[in-house]
Amino acid sequence: MAAKEFRERLHKALNNASLRGALERFADSYIISREEVYRGKDFAALREKIAAIKGDAAGRYEELAAQFTRAVEARGGKVFRAHDAAAAREYIYQVAKEHGVTDVVKSKSFASEEIHLNEYLQERGITPHETDLAEWILQLMPGERPSHMVMPAIHLPKEEVARVFSRYLGEPVEPDIKNMVRIARRELRKKFLTAGMGISGANIAVAETGTIVICTNEGNARLATTVPPVHVAIVGYEKLVPKLKDIVPILEALPRSGTAQPITSYVTMITGPVPARKGDGEGIKELHVVLLDNGRTRMAADPVFKEALQCIRCASCTNVCPVFQLVSGQVYGYIYSGGIGSILTAFFNSLEDAADPQSLCIGCRRCAEVCPAKINIPDLVLKLRERVVEKQGLSRAYRIALHGVVAKPRLMHTMLRAASRLQGPVTHGRPFIRHLPLYFSSFTEGRSLPAIARVPLRDRVKNLEGALRKSRLRAAFYSGCVIDFVYPEIGEAVYKVLGREGVEVTFPQGQACCGAPAIYAGDRETAVSLAKLNIAALEEAKADVIVTACPTCAVALKKNFIELLAGDPAWEGRAKDLAARVKDFTQLVHELKKSEGSAPEGKGRDRGIVKVTYHDSCHFKRHLGLDRAAREVLTSQPGIELVEMRESDRCCGFGGSYSVKYPEISRPILERKLKNIMASGAEIVATDCPGCILQLRGGLDQTGSDIQVKHTAEILANKD
Amino acid sequence: MAQEDLIAAFTRQAGVMGAQILPVEGRRELGKALAEALKPCGRRAALFASPLVRETNLEEALTAAGFTVEKDGPDFAREADVGIVEFDYGIAETGTLAMDATALKARLAAMLPLTCVALLRTKRIRANLTEVIEAYLERGSWPGYFTLVTGPSRTADIERSLTIGVHGPERLLIVLVGDEGGDDRGR
Ligand code: SF4
Ligand code: SF4
Repeated sequence: MAAKEFRERLHKALNNASLRGALERFADSYIISREEVYRGKDFAALREKIAAIKGDAAGRYEELAAQFTRAVEARGGKVFRAHDAAAAREYIYQVAKEHGVTDVVKSKSFASEEIHLNEYLQERGITPHETDLAEWILQLMPGERPSHMVMPAIHLPKEEVARVFSRYLGEPVEPDIKNMVRIARRELRKKFLTAGMGISGANIAVAETGTIVICTNEGNARLATTVPPVHVAIVGYEKLVPKLKDIVPILEALPRSGTAQPITSYVTMITGPVPARKGDGEGIKELHVVLLDNGRTRMAADPVFKEALQCIRCASCTNVCPVFQLVSGQVYGYIYSGGIGSILTAFFNSLEDAADPQSLCIGCRRCAEVCPAKINIPDLVLKLRERVVEKQGLSRAYRIALHGVVAKPRLMHTMLRAASRLQGPVTHGRPFIRHLPLYFSSFTEGRSLPAIARVPLRDRVKNLEGALRKSRLRAAFYSGCVIDFVYPEIGEAVYKVLGREGVEVTFPQGQACCGAPAIYAGDRETAVSLAKLNIAALEEAKADVIVTACPTCAVALKKNFIELLAGDPAWEGRAKDLAARVKDFTQLVHELKKSEGSAPEGKGRDRGIVKVTYHDSCHFKRHLGLDRAAREVLTSQPGIELVEMRESDRCCGFGGSYSVKYPEISRPILERKLKNIMASGAEIVATDCPGCILQLRGGLDQTGSDIQVKHTAEILANKD
Repeated sequence: MAQEDLIAAFTRQAGVMGAQILPVEGRRELGKALAEALKPCGRRAALFASPLVRETNLEEALTAAGFTVEKDGPDFAREADVGIVEFDYGIAETGTLAMDATALKARLAAMLPLTCVALLRTKRIRANLTEVIEAYLERGSWPGYFTLVTGPSRTADIERSLTIGVHGPERLLIVLVGDEGGDDRGR
């Protein structure tokens, strides 16, 4: 897809107020109802079960498909294995032609949309009728796209639907939902009773028995599979599970995660052909199951992306995605939307088609938290990004910034120092730094940007590193670029707090950028070279722990380095040794205080109580799992009252270079965050990520608010 | 869980899911109670003959109460106001009904009319889906068309406004038939 067309769709969606309103309202209520419907269920155990069942199945599709086929054939049904979309379409068309079918009723099926069945049949004189209400409405609106996987027409206001119905019936229809549903029932009932063939998808396919399982609330799948004399089910290989009992956990999670229902109104399980009306009497229905490959077995053979086949298509990942809530499924461009959608698109369509959709992910990891199939969606998106870059290359600007500068720390540091001298007094359009240092640009709308520090932390440390009388621990401070060059005062605070706790801190001068900008841009090469540089520099410090005060850096050091250097005999072990010694600053303080067993000190009370609200940085909470530790550290600090804001763990929209690439998405995410901060009544926002600080300070500055944003280290350092 | 607790849980959950419950103490009362309950729903009833229907002479009771009872024909259940079907099991956890619906008429009677009457013996209520699946597996061959029904047909496709009765029944009346005597192993 042309990038231009993608941008156009993006802007159209962002400017569509009714779409955004509908998605936001839904997402807000969804979070609450989901929690309620899972109450009393062990979600962690449930998702383990699903991941195990589906993961195992993905490892043996061939065997399961063969078993499934035998079971269906033993009952008298037919199974057709379709290698690709074209084969599936043609087979289904031939079945219809053989029976002289003119009209087909369809119950909602992603697979049929994936293979563009409707157009194919239509062109050959067969009329397909979608019978899921939302799908039918969309079908009556040529050019319209589904905006959500489970609720495809969630973006249409009832007035619009009434216009569509009026046009269809040729008579005025009032925008009364109850009445419109009645009209749909009446009109579609005629189709069910006259169609020569029913087409369905499947939510699960059981190899043991040859059973296909279909969930609906409306009951259209029951009618489509009962009334017409021929039934064709289109089933992707990833729907296969070995045993009948395997459907139980999936049926428990799918409706709960999808629409926050304990179960759908109807669950239909079809095993082989069953009695049906034929002519004036009763006969046996004809059953065809089309097992669709179309990239699935290639995906199953891919050790990285195989995991995505665990997906049960509940769409809860999109329901909680802050980006999806703004842009909707209409922007992703293909059948499957959201982060998982871009991964599926890469295999079911092509890597090129996935290039734009995958770039929408800001990496907040919210989806991974709720996915009932335990798919690590954001990590897979990053892997996908790497492949896109491998194939298409980096953009020129990125290549220069990453290969030419970030990968050469000495040059980068020189340039940053130069920039700090050149930036002059505070002006508009001042230069700025991001997680991707060195993007000198002017995307300042909605967010002021900080200047580069006059003296970076690496030059200040000489004055900070005094010998301690008695040190409990030797630590090397890994500052990351933002603390080093933009917020050296956070680094100073880290020194101060750790010094007070008896930790001797050193600053290895050879440290370089952690490589996160390269990783998030899909530039593996730069990331690998930076990983090696950093490992060597940090080893030299011979410290007990490596402390960082940036969660993105912590994730890079703890996790990404190991992945980047896996299989490299000279480096793999060193990366692991390093990772084992990395600790986040707040985590270390938390542990030190705990081991001391120190009670909160009474000092500082006289300064009065400050109201502090806490913003959970995505990496800090969802990767490092330190959200509770941070709160405990803060509340043990005298003089602080912690007031929770709404949606404290919702992304602030920073995402490093994301805010440069998609300022139109980053900005509204930030605005929502700012609203929640202001509503909390706090004077200070505490957080543990310098990136979030950059974003939040900039946003608050633009609104003229005097709420301060501080790193936890700065708050801790401030006491006497 | 004791059967009484399962019945109570089933009743509660089915209610939450939008079904109406009509408890009938014994099989002898079924005809009268049902005829009374169905009065506001129309007079044409599509009836799928099942053991319970036969044992209770339901057809006669309904005819006597003025209903037109349809049992067959190429247009079976298409024009009926009410469809009456016996279900095999109830699932307490979700208020769900389970049925081997391989027989075409059982399916049509449960799907096409605006009101679906589900007859269920209270003895056939189980705790969860796993138990029900096991019960069918024990019988040997898995049903050709197996159906789980929870509440009436529903949609929230227009502005997420919950609307009942889009393609399937608008009303699901579950008649819980008490175990006063008789066979509980069923079909
Ligand atoms: S990581 Fe965040 S932005 Fe990316 S797909 Fe998941 S929820 Fe959406
Ligand atoms: S990726 Fe997970 S959350 Fe998203 S649709 Fe699939 S199963 Fe549901």
